[in-house]
Amino acid sequence: MSASGPTPPGKPQARALNCPNCGAALVLRSFNNAVTIVCEGCHSILDAKDPNLQILQQFKAATDKDRPVIPLGTRGKIRGTEYEVIGFERRTINVDGAAYSWHEYVLFNPFKGFRYLTEYDGHWNDVSTLKALPERVSFSSPPKVKYLGETYKHFQTARASTSFVLGEFPWQVRVGESVEVSDYVSPPRVLSSEQTGNEVNWSMGEYMLGKDVWKAFRLPGSPPEAVGVYENQPSPMSGEAKSIWLTFAFFLLALVVLMIGFDLSAQNKEVFTGYYKYDSNRRGEASFVTDDFEIKGHTSNVELKTTTDLNNRWIYLNYALINETTGQAFDFGREVSFYHGYDSDGSWSEGSANDAVAVPSVPPGRYYLRVEPEGDPGYGMTYYTITVKRDVPQYSFYGIALGALLLPAILLSWRTLSFEHLRWAESDHPMITTSGDDD
Amino acid sequence: MRVLYIIYGSAVLVGLSIAQYQGWSLARVNEVKNVPRSVRDNPGSYRSVYSSYHHYTGGK
Repeated sequence: MSASGPTPPGKPQARALNCPNCGAALVLRSFNNAVTIVCEGCHSILDAKDPNLQILQQFKAATDKDRPVIPLGTRGKIRGTEYEVIGFERRTINVDGAAYSWHEYVLFNPFKGFRYLTEYDGHWNDVSTLKALPERVSFSSPPKVKYLGETYKHFQTARASTSFVLGEFPWQVRVGESVEVSDYVSPPRVLSSEQTGNEVNWSMGEYMLGKDVWKAFRLPGSPPEAVGVYENQPSPMSGEAKSIWLTFAFFLLALVVLMIGFDLSAQNKEVFTGYYKYDSNRRGEASFVTDDFEIKGHTSNVELKTTTDLNNRWIYLNYALINETTGQAFDFGREVSFYHGYDSDGSWSEGSANDAVAVPSVPPGRYYLRVEPEGDPGYGMTYYTITVKRDVPQYSFYGIALGALLLPAILLSWRTLSFEHLRWAESDHPMITTSGDDD
Repeated sequence: MRVLYIIYGSAVLVGLSIAQYQGWSLARVNEVKNVPRSVRDNPGSYRSVYSSYHHYTGGK
């Protein structure tokens, strides 16, 4: 896309002309600023600077196939300035044998000059030419350029050819002409360079939603649905991911503060200790009850620890923590087993001779334990100690809370990464390359 | 999104605080009401729901 500044207009007035080839009426909307004008009837490209409208090129095209979705002559406001659509072209690049086409609309305002709108698969860009040259960043891979303090990363370089034109253009447009186009992105902006020989034109595009284009030009209906992820389409999650991780850091700090707070305020008080033995060779009733003990404070947990002298054996203990006054019981069973040995893989061990369990939400009161040990006959004597503690911090909940806090942040980051992966998949620098891409 | 996360994260921390204060636990514990006082004198009269548990007999 190449352009020059507008000729200062006198009284704005469209010139009415006729095509020298087919005689169809032509309307020159950009006054003396158009360099070429294309006849809609016979597709003749005419020299707009020539009073006789010399025919520069004729091409064959099915107009219906390339009808602009914003008709020529439509006016709309872009960034507060009213522009009129005066030209339309289709440009095509070939990548790995596949043709990709996009559309460009030439907009004109008598005081502001030319501006462009591009559209590819429902993705729109508001484009204007640059007044200064971007600066190339040395030794960067992929290549980068800097413009107005912002760094743009190279996306793609391809040869683009003009395949259809309509209306007026501020340059010598020809169907079939081609230029080398390089895009550098920093969403939502894209810098594009178009090189023909030694001449390079730079332009900057800013991503626009189809609905905003429709609103700006007061177009009927709704815009075509955007397909896929476009090169400079802003990620809907990129800013969010950063803010979520910052919030996560705050929650992590709060989690640590809570952990220290509950650790310091927990009673963690031993309320009962008993030493017992179990003879698995002895027949008869093995169950027994302990002395009663006082559990104080608010409703909280009770940790019951079993310490044994097990060695390549197991013991199973049926426990019931019974409130002497109310008859409320917390019934649970604990298997304690510890095995170890040596084989061809070396030494091994399994289980533990000790066990701890937290009984949840135990109200204060006087309690006793009913204990019923079980074991394989022939094991003989097992010595074990039962220790009961009140209000013991449970660290597993901190792990669960940490996981619950991490999950949304990880999911959001994953979605952001997926979006970027889709964006760069179509570039010269895909995030993941397959062996086929290397060929 | 951030507001939703703040609400969600706050709920997680409030839930954690309640769990810690109330002494919740992940252990499998069965609550039984009205255990007779006679258990004190006759422990064998009480049948634990875990009595039928199939015990591990192994090692490597």
